[in-house]
Amino acid sequence: MNSIHDMGGMHGYGPIVREEDEPVFHHEWEGKALALARIALAGGHFNLDEFRHVQERMPPAHYLTIRYYERWLEGTVAMLVEKGVITAEEYAARLAELSGEAS
Amino acid sequence: MTSDEDVALRVRALESLLLEKGLVESPAIDEIIDLFENRMGPQNGARVIVRAWTDPDFKARLLANASDAIVEMGYDAVQGEDMVVVENTRAVHNLVVCTLCSCFPWATLGLPPVWYKSAPYRSRAASDPRGVLAEFGTAIADEAEVRVWDSNAELRYMVLPEQPAGTDGMSEDELLALVTRDSMIGVTRALEAPAP
Amino acid sequence: MSRVITREVVQGLYKHTGTARVDVDVAASFKVGDTIRARNINPTGHTRLPRYIRGKQGQVAVDHGVFQFADSLAHSSGKQPQHLYSVRFTAREIWGADVPAQDSLYIDLWDDYLESA
Repeated sequence: MNSIHDMGGMHGYGPIVREEDEPVFHHEWEGKALALARIALAGGHFNLDEFRHVQERMPPAHYLTIRYYERWLEGTVAMLVEKGVITAEEYAARLAELSGEAS
Repeated sequence: MTSDEDVALRVRALESLLLEKGLVESPAIDEIIDLFENRMGPQNGARVIVRAWTDPDFKARLLANASDAIVEMGYDAVQGEDMVVVENTRAVHNLVVCTLCSCFPWATLGLPPVWYKSAPYRSRAASDPRGVLAEFGTAIADEAEVRVWDSNAELRYMVLPEQPAGTDGMSEDELLALVTRDSMIGVTRALEAPAP
Repeated sequence: MSRVITREVVQGLYKHTGTARVDVDVAASFKVGDTIRARNINPTGHTRLPRYIRGKQGQVAVDHGVFQFADSLAHSSGKQPQHLYSVRFTAREIWGADVPAQDSLYIDLWDDYLESA
């Protein structure tokens, strides 16, 4: 699809910003997001091409502004819901439960 | 932008659901994180490069069939099953990008740095590689050919940087210290030999 | 998911894990040295053919062999194994006259993306 991910040759994104001695994961959640995505793939209910495509289908502004591993998390959740492994309702319910605990 | 606390909660929600449903066990999650944080990384690619610098037969095998040569060295992990290694020379400078997402030779370089996955790099590496190289402080001779490799399919690309001048006869450890991740992506050269 | 992902499963995955090659004999439409054109396709689904290369003329540099096809796998249409080629394009062919004449771009294109030029 001709969406924003296909960015070879685009202009206007500014300088390449680099971090000195960048850690592999900036936060624990990044490593977990990666791990859960790879685990979901290993489970065999969706493949890598589907995983890339679900990210390509995100609204362009969202794709550009969301952080990389957060995009992976959203892609994983979306694929698992699409494939019927989890439901949107139970995910929302679990999130509400954990948010309640956190506050 | 969502806060780290927010995202961490959403990750926890998914993790707890998958654990509860018996679809994954906790040690598996820990194993993947440990693999990427501690075991995969450019230190592996550097060993491949240094071997190529010091062993002409290995270098020939690496350039002819990188996948097999990398398996030979024991780095046959995920996103490294189908590898191509491209050699920098005085005449040709290679640069690797994935314009469509973030494909990267994990098996030899580990996970890509944030800048490699960013829109500025993904957009300009293909169309203005000399501008990108300049941003990284890498000078390229006017008459050299700059070759961009867009990793859009299933092959993963790694650059074999030129061996720096005055490094023949250096020990393996000394040579390893000169091979940076950036030089194996192609945005920089390997480091110069330290002054005597 | 079809199986419980344990630590052992993960360890097994990260050695000799999923190559995208398919061990099947499929005829190649092109060979090294052929001049080809990347098709001007604009699918609304998943493709690994970037817009910047569509309609551009290049030369087959390497035949990588037979691989599963990303475009079909993303839509549950099976592997559709076919030859995957490394194709060389001059930078000027893609970006116009303002880039150095000797610069180039290599990209991996499946058989289905190509037509004779």
